[in-house]
Amino acid sequence: MSSGTRVNSRIDEFRAAVASRIDAEAWAEGFAVDGALPAVVVEPRSEADVASVLAEAQAAGLSIVAVGAGQHLTIGNPPERYDVALSMRRLNRVIAHEPADLTVTVEAGTSFGDLGLTLSPHNQFLPVDPPGGGATVGGLVAANLSGPLRHAYGTIRDWLIGVRVAHADGRISKAGGRVVKNVTGYEMTKLYTGSLGTLGVVTEATFKLAPLPPVRCTVVCTTHSAHAASTLLFAARDAGLSLEAAELLSPPAAFAVLGEARWSVLMRLGGVRGGVDRTMRELGTYANGLGGAADEVRDDAWERWYTAFALERLSLRVSVSPTSVPEVVEVLDRRFAGAAAMLSATAGVGVIRAKLSPSAEERAGALVDHARELVSAHGGSVVVEAAPPSYKREHDVFSPLRADFAIMKRLKDEFDPKRTLSPGRFVGRL
Amino acid sequence: MTTPSPDDRALPRGFVTRSVIRELERALGKERVLSTPEELIAYEFDGTIERGLPQAVVFPESTDHVSAAVRIAYRYDLPVVPRGAGTGLSGGAVAAIGGVVLAMARMKRILEVDVANRIAVVEPGVVNLDLSRAVAEHGLFYAPDPSSQRACTIGGNVAENAGGPHCLAYGATTNHVLGVELVLADGEVVWVGGRTRDVPGYDLTGAFVGSEGTLAIATKIVVRLSPLPESTRTLLAIFDTIDDASRAVSAIIATGILPAALEMMDRNVIAAVEPVLNAGFPLDAEAVLLIEVDGLEEATVEEADLIERICHDHAAREVRVAVEAADRELLWAGRKSSISALGRLYPNYYVLDGVVPRTRLPEVLGETYRIAEKHGLAVANVFHAGDGNLHPNLLFDEREAGATARVLEAGAEIMRLCVDAGGSITGEHGVGLEKRDFIGWIFDDTDLAVMAGLKRAFKAGEHFNPCKAFPTHKGCGELSQAHVARVAAALGQDMYV
Repeated sequence: MSSGTRVNSRIDEFRAAVASRIDAEAWAEGFAVDGALPAVVVEPRSEADVASVLAEAQAAGLSIVAVGAGQHLTIGNPPERYDVALSMRRLNRVIAHEPADLTVTVEAGTSFGDLGLTLSPHNQFLPVDPPGGGATVGGLVAANLSGPLRHAYGTIRDWLIGVRVAHADGRISKAGGRVVKNVTGYEMTKLYTGSLGTLGVVTEATFKLAPLPPVRCTVVCTTHSAHAASTLLFAARDAGLSLEAAELLSPPAAFAVLGEARWSVLMRLGGVRGGVDRTMRELGTYANGLGGAADEVRDDAWERWYTAFALERLSLRVSVSPTSVPEVVEVLDRRFAGAAAMLSATAGVGVIRAKLSPSAEERAGALVDHARELVSAHGGSVVVEAAPPSYKREHDVFSPLRADFAIMKRLKDEFDPKRTLSPGRFVGRL
Repeated sequence: MTTPSPDDRALPRGFVTRSVIRELERALGKERVLSTPEELIAYEFDGTIERGLPQAVVFPESTDHVSAAVRIAYRYDLPVVPRGAGTGLSGGAVAAIGGVVLAMARMKRILEVDVANRIAVVEPGVVNLDLSRAVAEHGLFYAPDPSSQRACTIGGNVAENAGGPHCLAYGATTNHVLGVELVLADGEVVWVGGRTRDVPGYDLTGAFVGSEGTLAIATKIVVRLSPLPESTRTLLAIFDTIDDASRAVSAIIATGILPAALEMMDRNVIAAVEPVLNAGFPLDAEAVLLIEVDGLEEATVEEADLIERICHDHAAREVRVAVEAADRELLWAGRKSSISALGRLYPNYYVLDGVVPRTRLPEVLGETYRIAEKHGLAVANVFHAGDGNLHPNLLFDEREAGATARVLEAGAEIMRLCVDAGGSITGEHGVGLEKRDFIGWIFDDTDLAVMAGLKRAFKAGEHFNPCKAFPTHKGCGELSQAHVARVAAALGQDMYV
C-alpha cells in the first residue's frame, strides 16, 4: 500500500468518526494554504466538537489547520502536511459583553466586524486594526497582526486577558480569566498569541476594551522628503500629542491611500476636544516649519490603508528600533523602486510594512534578501507575511533562528507531540 | 553528588555541604557567599508571613556569577531561589525548602539608556524608582509603579508581573518588558525577546514575565520607558456611600476617559489616616476616590473638569483638584500613608490582592466587612478601583491566641468571594507560597498540566523556586504561616501595594 493510500484510508476513518456529528464541507476552496487544499473541511458548532475533531485527527495521524475567515493564511511557512481544515466560523457567539467592566468574551470564530457592532453602541472598541478585513477574533489572536493603531494601543497581545484552548489531544484548557488585572498562573495567553495555531486552537477569548475617544479625526501631513516626514512624526510623538496612529507613507503608498504621491504622515487624532485641538495646531506648525502642510482629511483614508496593505502578493513586515525607521524606509524605497513598493511605517514602534507589486513576484527572493541584509544590519527582523507559493517553497519566511529556538522546539513537542497542528508553518518549520 | 532527576515533579534532594560552599566561594569569591546561621536568618522571609531558611545566600554581580552558581546548584541538586529586595507579598522570595538564595541586589547597574528609542537595559537588582529617577532628565519614566517602588527591584517586578496604581492606563510589568537575558536551570545563558517590538517566534518573554522565579533567572532586562506627561491633575473626591463612589468610577470610565490612576479608600482607612495626617477627611465619609489624569495640558484641564462634574453628579460631598506637584503629593499622602497609619492602630495586618469585575466592587466590599466581622477582625480597604483590584487589609494582633489562624481563614474566604464574583485570587502580588493551594479554585488539573508543559519547555524542573505558584505537592510540607509582625515593622509602608 502506498503512503498516499494510507493517508486516504486514515482520512476516510476520520471522516467516518466525525461525520455523524459534525458538519463537513464537500468543497475545500477558500481553505487553500499556499496552494495546498485539505482533503476534508469540518465545521464544528461547539468547543467540545472542536476538541473531538482534534483528538480524532491526532489519533488518525492527520494534520489540521484551524481557519477563521482565512485572512491570515498567507502568514507562515507552507504546511508540510494538510489533511483537515478546521473551520471555526460557526463558533461565533458573543458570550458576554460587560460594558461597565470594559471586557468582552467571544467565541473564536466571531468576526472582528461583528464584535465592533456589539461594542460601538457603548462607545468601546478593541483597538487593533490589522490590514485586510473580515478577520475572526481567533485569527487575529493566532496571527497577532497589528495595524496603525499599534502606535498608541500595542497589539492584541496587550488586550487578551483570557483564553480557552482546545489541544491536539482533545483536552480543553483555560488560562487568564475575565478580569482586567490577573497574575494567577503562567501567562499562557502570551504563548498562544501569534503562535499561528501551532500550540492549540483558541476557542474562546476574553479581551479588555478601550473607550472610544470622545473626539477623533484624521490628519495628513505632506512633506518633500522621507527625512522631513520622519522628523515631523517623531516630533509629534515626543511632544506627547493626542495621536492614536501615526503612519509614515512612501509616495506610492500615499498615492494608494491619499491620491497624492508624496512622503506623508497619516495620523489619527483622538482624545478630548482640548487635546485634539492643540494637536491639530501643533501639527500645522511642524508641517509649516518643514515646508509642508497639515490637512484634515476624511476618515475613509484608513479604509483605503487597510485595503492597500491587505496581505497578498509580496508583503513584508519589518521590525527595527524606531530610530532606524527613517533610514530603512528610505533605502527600501530606493531598492524596491522597480517593484512599485508601498511602504508604511508605524514609526513610533519601529514596524514597517512593505507591499510589492505583482510584477515583482519573480524577483521576490532578491528583494527579500535585500531587505533582510539591510534590516539585520539594524538589529531587526523581517517576516514575509505573503508571498507566491514558488517563493515559499524555497525560502523560510521568518528571520534566522536564535538560541531560544531550543525552548520553542521543546514547547511545540510538549503541546503537539504528533505535529497535528499546522505542522511546518511556524518559525524553524515547527 | 546526585544526578538531577529527569522527573520534573521531583523536588531537589541535595544538601548544602561544605564542599558546595567551597565551590560557590571559588566560583563567585568568598565575599559573595553567606552560609552561617546568623547571616542566613536575614534571608528567611520576605513581605509575607511565610518563612524558610536557606542554607546559603550568594550575591552574584554578573551573568557569569549567576550561571556559575546555578550550575553548582544543578550538580548538587539544590533548590535555587532568586530574591530581589524581599518586598514581595506572596512569599516568592522565601526559600520554601531551603537551598541557595540568589540575592540579586548587587546586580543593580543600569547598563544602557536609549533615549531616542525609549528603552533601557537593566540588571535585575535595579530598584524600580531608581530607574525612573535616572531617566527623568530625558523626560522619561518607567511606568509600572508598585507602591514598594522605592525598595523593590525590576527583577522582582518581572517575576511577579507587578502592577501599581498607574497600571490602569499604562499596563502592568508585562506591557513594559521587551526582552530578557535568562539563565536556565543547567546554567545555560539565553536571550528571549530583544530590543525591537517583534521578534519572530513564540512570545517567551511574555510567558516568562510573571512566572514567579520558577522558569529561569533574569540577568538582564530590556524595558520600555514612557514619556513623562506634560501635565498631571489629581482629584480627591469624598463620598457618603461606597455605592456612590463605585458608580462614579463606572461613570468616569463610561465617558471615554481612562484615568492614569483611580484609587479608593474606605471608612476604616479614613479613620486611620485622618488623625495622623489631618487631611480634612470627614470621619463619617464612607469612601474617598483619588483620580489622576495626565497628558496634554488642554486635555487634563478638560478631563479633570468632566471628572469633577461626574463626582458631584454622584453625590460627592467634596472634590479637591491639585495641579502642582507639591499639592498633588498632599492628595496622595492619605493613600500612600494609609498602611503605616493602620499600623499605628493594629500591630499586624495581612493584605489580600483579589480582583473582581469593576461592577462587582460594591457588593464584594460589603462582603469583606461581613467576613471580617464574622471572624472578629477589622478590615480596611485601600485599592485600585479602576481595575477592580482589591486590597483588603485584615487587622489583628498576632499575640492574641488564634488570631493568625482567624486571619488566614478570613483571607481564604475573601479570596473565594473574589473567585465566585468572577475574579481572581491575585492581581499583582503573585500566587507564591501564600495562595498556591487556592489556585485550584480557578484552574483545573488540565489547565495546570498545560502550564506544566511550559515549565518542561524551559527544562526548569523544580530547580527554581520549588513549591511556588502551583498547588503543593508531596515534599513541600507544611510551611510556617505564623510570623507577621517583624516583616511589616522592618519594611513599613514600602512593602505595600
